[in-house]
Amino acid sequence: MPVWLREHRWWQTASAVYLSLPVRCLRVTAANIFCTDRYLKVSIPPFLFEAILYAPIDDINSTAKIGNGMIFFTLYKKETAMWDSLTLANANKEKLQYLRENAVLKAHEKAKEETEAKKVTKQEHKKYALEATMKLEETERKRIEDLKEKERQKVTKELELWTKQQDAAEKHNRVQKEGELHQEVEQLKEKKKEKIKKTRIPNEGTSETRIKATKGRGSYSMFSENLKEEQLPAPRSTATIKINFTSRVFPTALRESRVAEEEEWLRKQAEARRTISDDLSELEDLKEEEKNPDWLKDKGNKMFATGNYLAAVNAYNLAVRLNNKLPLLYLNRAACHLKLRNLHKAIEDSSKALELLTPPVPDNENARIKAYVRRGTAFCQLELYAEGLQDYEAALKIDPKNKNIEKDAEKIRHLIQGTTQDS
Amino acid sequence: AAGLDRPQVVSHAQQALNYTLFDCKWVPRSARLLCLGSTARGSGLLQLYELRGGRLALLREIEKAKPLKCGTFGATSLQQRYFATGDFGGNLNIWNLEAPEIPVYSVKGHKEIINSIDGVGGLGIGEGAPEIVTGSRDGTVKVWDPRQKDTPVANMEPVQGESKRDCWTVAFGNAYNQEERVVCAGYDNGDIKLFDLKTMSLQWETNIKNGVCSVEFDRKDVNMNKLVATSLEGKFHVFDMRTQHPTKGFASVSEKAQKSTIWQVRHLPQNRDVFMTSGGAGSLHLWKYEYPSQRSKKDSEGAEMGVAGSLSLLQNVTLSTQPISSLDWSPDKKGLCVCGAFDQTVRVLIVTKLNKV
Repeated sequence: MPVWLREHRWWQTASAVYLSLPVRCLRVTAANIFCTDRYLKVSIPPFLFEAILYAPIDDINSTAKIGNGMIFFTLYKKETAMWDSLTLANANKEKLQYLRENAVLKAHEKAKEETEAKKVTKQEHKKYALEATMKLEETERKRIEDLKEKERQKVTKELELWTKQQDAAEKHNRVQKEGELHQEVEQLKEKKKEKIKKTRIPNEGTSETRIKATKGRGSYSMFSENLKEEQLPAPRSTATIKINFTSRVFPTALRESRVAEEEEWLRKQAEARRTISDDLSELEDLKEEEKNPDWLKDKGNKMFATGNYLAAVNAYNLAVRLNNKLPLLYLNRAACHLKLRNLHKAIEDSSKALELLTPPVPDNENARIKAYVRRGTAFCQLELYAEGLQDYEAALKIDPKNKNIEKDAEKIRHLIQGTTQDS
Repeated sequence: AAGLDRPQVVSHAQQALNYTLFDCKWVPRSARLLCLGSTARGSGLLQLYELRGGRLALLREIEKAKPLKCGTFGATSLQQRYFATGDFGGNLNIWNLEAPEIPVYSVKGHKEIINSIDGVGGLGIGEGAPEIVTGSRDGTVKVWDPRQKDTPVANMEPVQGESKRDCWTVAFGNAYNQEERVVCAGYDNGDIKLFDLKTMSLQWETNIKNGVCSVEFDRKDVNMNKLVATSLEGKFHVFDMRTQHPTKGFASVSEKAQKSTIWQVRHLPQNRDVFMTSGGAGSLHLWKYEYPSQRSKKDSEGAEMGVAGSLSLLQNVTLSTQPISSLDWSPDKKGLCVCGAFDQTVRVLIVTKLNKV
């Protein structure tokens, strides 16, 4: 239950009502005062003062002064009339309630309106600022444009002048040329006349002179040509220069190459050549050349060629012990195992070779094709036709033009289809 | 204001064309220009325009059987003004524009398209016989003399068995007297080769890693001074050609101006240290080369080697979204230039304030 403050005093003029409310020892702020056009409330919990005003007031302009233990209200009346009392006398509870709610609602609405109004003004201000900056930038741009335009016009005028000069020069040249030609013709005519005068021979003579004249003209032009020819050197004596193009490890231009992969491949190769595996103690009794993986590889190749597959395998084994990073060793050993029908070993070796032949670049294409084909063959001989076909197709992808691989792939396909039909 | 003191590129006139434009050249001693290219139906087209009051007026149109790729006035006299063209079929033809039905000189010079052509000895510039050089996709560079039919006077071809690389650009240089002459050729694998025609030998070669789109000497008719080579991926190199080191060759400075291919470089005829590069993104860059305080110095063994200078960008402008494939300065009016782009437009531009550069 609030404690009602009732010790208020009021007096009025025609246009305003003055209300003084003592609030001893209480801290009052603006938040404690609530006022609408018909309702006034001061709430300082637990104290409460409310008044339902006799007539509406102008709540926007009315003021409240807080100080000296008092709140002094100056309420401007909406209609100038003398009030009978400060509050409405016959206010029953319901009306009170209604009025209170109304007042609160009104206050809310007002608050909302105010915020709306604020927003609108803010927007307008922003817009104005924006327009102002735009105008400034526009003027700046225009200024530069104008300068450029002036430049352009100046330059265009100069160009016009120049083109006119060119035209005039052309015409002048043409006229001159014609004039010169005319002069030449005149000169020749005169010469002709002179010659005719000199030789008083009848018809033959005239024909002779005519011939002479043409000859004369011919020789005249030839003479001028000779002069020109002498100024220019003769055409060069024909010769050919043979050139070479810059070789690259990979014969493609930068734009075509897949440099990163190729670099990696090169690096791997270089590393592989350098690695020397362990077990050197066991191999001390071997000759120097027998410790060289490349030499061993060559030996193995030779023995493969002569058909001595077991010996070839031995050579490759030793080479692998020395350096297990060379893909070609595994590749060749796979071929030997195929011949020896050690199919599982062949598959193993081809797989290892393929592993070492990454990244796939044009340089190791051939090796990869061989690896796939050998593994495919091994699979087929083990009657694992599906895997075999996979490998053959991989080989075909690298080199689509290889007829042998194609033929073999076809054969395997038929085989697979044949077996599926049977089962 | 400081920005406006630099040379400005002003667009003066432009013309939309209905064919693919490959090359455009000014007709010497006139306000006329030639455009050549390929029509949609696969024939070659040569158009003669005249600059009249801010517009280009078409004076003549000549159609030929094969699309035309490149052309030059370099080897003709000022009176005759015959135009030499290279076409897609590898034919070199020289035309008299007054009577263009039958060429003055014709030869099937190459097996594949002639990518680039240059002429020297004409137009009253330099001395010596007029000669034309063509570079083709078949990997050969051939020098022709219009007085000698059917066979070239010099042929630079790959050694037997060598896989060929496309030759993309050729240029004459060092033609300061009757005997001296060099040809510089750029290939698609980044090779630049310099051939000395007096000794008929390869004088120098280098590789700039990216395909060479355009090479040009700053002047054809002086002791070779500078060579600019432009390439793919926005890089170009300026070589100082006055001092050749026995192993290191010529000194160079390089610049990466933009991300796209630099299609052409052209030096200003009136100032050999200013040149313009045109790019694959439709842009033009105007450069100035500054010489170093000493153009050559001795290396550790006492051999002379060149010192490259520095480049400064004077201006750049973007005119189109398509590559600007051809560019030509007018030899008669300083700053006037024409450029042709793959958006089928030929543009006439004026570069201002080149006097103050």
